[in-house]
Amino acid sequence: MRPILLQGHERSITQIKYNREGDLLFSAAKDTVVNVWYSVNGERLGNYNGHTGAVWCVDADWDTKNVLTGSADNSCRLWDCETGKQLALLETSSAVRTCGFDFSGNIIMFSTDKQMGYQCYLNLFDLRDPQQIEDNQPYSSVLCSDSKITSAVWGPLGEFVIAGHESGEINQFSAKSGEILKTVKEHSKQINDIQTSVDLTMVITASKDNTSKLFDSASLEHIKSFKTERPVNSAAISPIMDHVVMGGGQEAMDVTTTSTRIGKFEARFFHAAYEEEFGRVKGHFGPINCVAFHPDGKSYSSGGEDGYVRLHYFDPHYFDFELEA
Amino acid sequence: MQDTEDIAAEAEFEEDEGPSFSDSEDFEDDIDDEELLGDVLKEGPQEADGIDSVVVVDNVPQVGQERLEKLKNVIHKIFSKFGKITNEFYPEAEGKTKGYIFLEYSSPNHAIEAVKNADGYKLDKQHTFRVNVFTDFDKYMTISDEWETPEKQPFKDFGNLRHWMEEPDCRDQYSVIYESGERTGIYSNDAKEPITVEERARWTETYVRWSPKGTYLATFHQRGIALWGGEKFKQIQRFSHQGVQLIDFSPCERYMVTFSPLMDTKDDPQAIIIWDVLTGQKKRGFHCESSAHWPIFKWSHDGKFFARMTQDTLSIYETPSMGLLDKKSLKIGGIKDFSWSPGDNVIAFWVPEDKDIPARVTLMQLPSRQEIRVRNLFNVVDSKLHWQKQGDYLCVKVDRTPKGTPGVVTNFEIFRMREKQVPVDVVEMKEGIIAFAWEPNGSKFAVLHGESPRINSSFYHVKSNGKIELIKTFDKQQANSIFWSPQGQFLVLAGLRSMNGALAFVDTSDCTMMNIAEHYMASDVEWDPTGRYVVTSVSWWSHKVDNAFWLWTFQGRLLQKNNKDRFCQLLWRPRPAILLNQEEIKLIKKDLKKYSKIFEQKDRLSQSKASKELVDKRQTMMEEYRKYRETTIQMYQEQRTLRLDLRGGVDTDDLDSNVEDWEEETIEFFINEEIIPLGDPE
Repeated sequence: MRPILLQGHERSITQIKYNREGDLLFSAAKDTVVNVWYSVNGERLGNYNGHTGAVWCVDADWDTKNVLTGSADNSCRLWDCETGKQLALLETSSAVRTCGFDFSGNIIMFSTDKQMGYQCYLNLFDLRDPQQIEDNQPYSSVLCSDSKITSAVWGPLGEFVIAGHESGEINQFSAKSGEILKTVKEHSKQINDIQTSVDLTMVITASKDNTSKLFDSASLEHIKSFKTERPVNSAAISPIMDHVVMGGGQEAMDVTTTSTRIGKFEARFFHAAYEEEFGRVKGHFGPINCVAFHPDGKSYSSGGEDGYVRLHYFDPHYFDFELEA
Repeated sequence: MQDTEDIAAEAEFEEDEGPSFSDSEDFEDDIDDEELLGDVLKEGPQEADGIDSVVVVDNVPQVGQERLEKLKNVIHKIFSKFGKITNEFYPEAEGKTKGYIFLEYSSPNHAIEAVKNADGYKLDKQHTFRVNVFTDFDKYMTISDEWETPEKQPFKDFGNLRHWMEEPDCRDQYSVIYESGERTGIYSNDAKEPITVEERARWTETYVRWSPKGTYLATFHQRGIALWGGEKFKQIQRFSHQGVQLIDFSPCERYMVTFSPLMDTKDDPQAIIIWDVLTGQKKRGFHCESSAHWPIFKWSHDGKFFARMTQDTLSIYETPSMGLLDKKSLKIGGIKDFSWSPGDNVIAFWVPEDKDIPARVTLMQLPSRQEIRVRNLFNVVDSKLHWQKQGDYLCVKVDRTPKGTPGVVTNFEIFRMREKQVPVDVVEMKEGIIAFAWEPNGSKFAVLHGESPRINSSFYHVKSNGKIELIKTFDKQQANSIFWSPQGQFLVLAGLRSMNGALAFVDTSDCTMMNIAEHYMASDVEWDPTGRYVVTSVSWWSHKVDNAFWLWTFQGRLLQKNNKDRFCQLLWRPRPAILLNQEEIKLIKKDLKKYSKIFEQKDRLSQSKASKELVDKRQTMMEEYRKYRETTIQMYQEQRTLRLDLRGGVDTDDLDSNVEDWEEETIEFFINEEIIPLGDPE
């Protein structure tokens, strides 16, 4: 497959997200820029201008009307997707690490980092109540005193938020009361990313403990494990095949020598049921920070430490491939 | 010299003038002799002294008066070496000496030295001295007449220590240290994947070593060494040596040598200890100045002798007595290096130039100490000894600065040990040598020479007609080490560490490159004892990521990649020498085709069994997964109305669920630009 190279960032990519229909791809990076691209050919539509710090997260609602971003400039911002206009600015005391719209698009959640004396909070705002936005008063703010939230997604019907923590724990926070409904600890190190399957019934976690795990969204039951020898930065579930893709890399501190083979950092494909790796895609010049499947499952994208987003359309033979069983 | 009168006068004079330094009239000295003269008193005669310094020498020739003076002189000469003899007594009976004498030394230490060194001294064919401290007689006399049978030690049955050799599929074992030393595992090597035999946490504190015949696994601990073996790797023996750092085994596995920098004291040398492996006893201790060239003691191939080199001296000891061979070390002025032949009790050593005497290499037969070959070398800068594994050949690598040529030139002096009078042939090398290795079981050797990046590998054959033939040279090699298969014929040229793990698999029967591959950042290459498999590994001790060991066939086909968290070291378990004789081996080789067929069939069965196992496993996993998906999809369907509600009635369950809502838009994309030059309008 020949990838389309999206060059729009000067620093490492932090998150990429497709909208529900898959025609747009959003990319956020440490250079404060948030770009939006046509996924069909990689043409850049525009950007959402306003953040003054590294942008850690980006999300679009189901109707692709609004875009939500969170940044190290201690703000979470709401934008109009089509025009790029900033609709709301929610100031926080510390960096916003993860954010997202719920299934209905009416409720937004975002988490703040444990930094400089400020604790980690999970904040929930109802967009139907403009007073909350104006007063910067979330209807629910949950304190996470033990281990800070490193990544989070909404549950299937907006009833809870599934959050991954620095300790490797996963918690379900009720969207109404903020109390913890369920908790599991299957990972031994920090959870770098959580993503949902397209029908929101499953979540996949990517952890620093070199593994990625598949969980049931409602029960948090641990279904599958995928093992590698490097920390996993991001993982995604294919919408149409029993595949998962994972991207990762070694800690910058551990890289003391460079391999003679450039472009060595690979996205790895595992069979979701057999837990076996069946393919790799090379190309990034640095660790991969984020991976995402197109909602139709016919392509996927990866964003790397090198600042590039690579868009790959699968060859027909990818869909026919089967492991002997 | 002043008169006493004057002194007295002076004293009086001072008494009147200044402070008095005399004691007051009624001063009583309350300091005792012990405090004042302690050190001197110690040397004075002590009550017990008399007996402690006396030795009894037995088996002294019985002589009459005429020869007594001569006898006394001889005894004196021998025994005054250990200290000053203060007294002697030669009891007589019927005009002749009784055959035993008493000697007294000035200190008990001398008596002990005398016993240590003179006991067993052979004066002549019929008289071997037996020397004992006199106090010992007392000790033995007071042993009670009642004989108490020593308590029976329960027999510790460790089972069959060679159990691993009975493995039906002839799998070799290897030890793996991983998790940066926290875990050690023993595995059985199978082409598909390693089979775990034993895995323990904190089995060793630093690393492990196998004994030369593979019987024991030695683990290192702060307090000493532990040996493990048998089917279940039970602890067989413990050796207490605080702070032990290095160990070595005798080739026969009867003895073990340990080194610890902590334990040395002047009177009781404990830096190096030699142990009897089976009984666990300390046999002898030695001083050690530095452990830089471990092993300090080099063993002969049969374990009968061990030797070490110190300044201008070569000390050879024999087992089991642990005493110096012939009671004295060899004085070899300037000796730089020595090594035992791996096949015979022959030592090779070399001495550098000394004024007019050229440098020379000497081959000495033990125990006769006969020099079977000496070779003079001229203008030598440095030299290194390389024995072929069976002791058939010795290669002496000599770096020389020949007259008239600038720079250093290297020669290989090849000694043919199996031929009469050990003829020597010389191979001149034009370039600097990076590595040299003999073929085990064969008569070839491989050399890496040149300077990075232009490194060449050359293969030579030592022919029986006296010629040393250069078979082939490969240039532009990425290699800094040579690893021959233990059975000969095949080797791996590896570029370890800084050369990023380049590997070349060579068949030296026709010098072809079977395969060229790479194990990025490999730090070690280990052949299995049979020469069937090669393991390349990236140790955590040299590189902090990608720690793994890869298994290859001897032809260079990659079989397995085993990642192990913080993998440190892999060591194959050595095999004991083959028990079959030459005829039996010939018979097996003759029937090899028959055996091959059986093995191939076995392999095919196990392969299909493996794929069948894998296929079965996958089927179960898929079934489980499908069942799980069914239940969740069912729940998903049930929640459909809730979803429609949340999105204001818009059906978003599938990508094409609400086509009516779609708008059609035609967008033009720039695909390609083609410039077509039109002809000149004229």
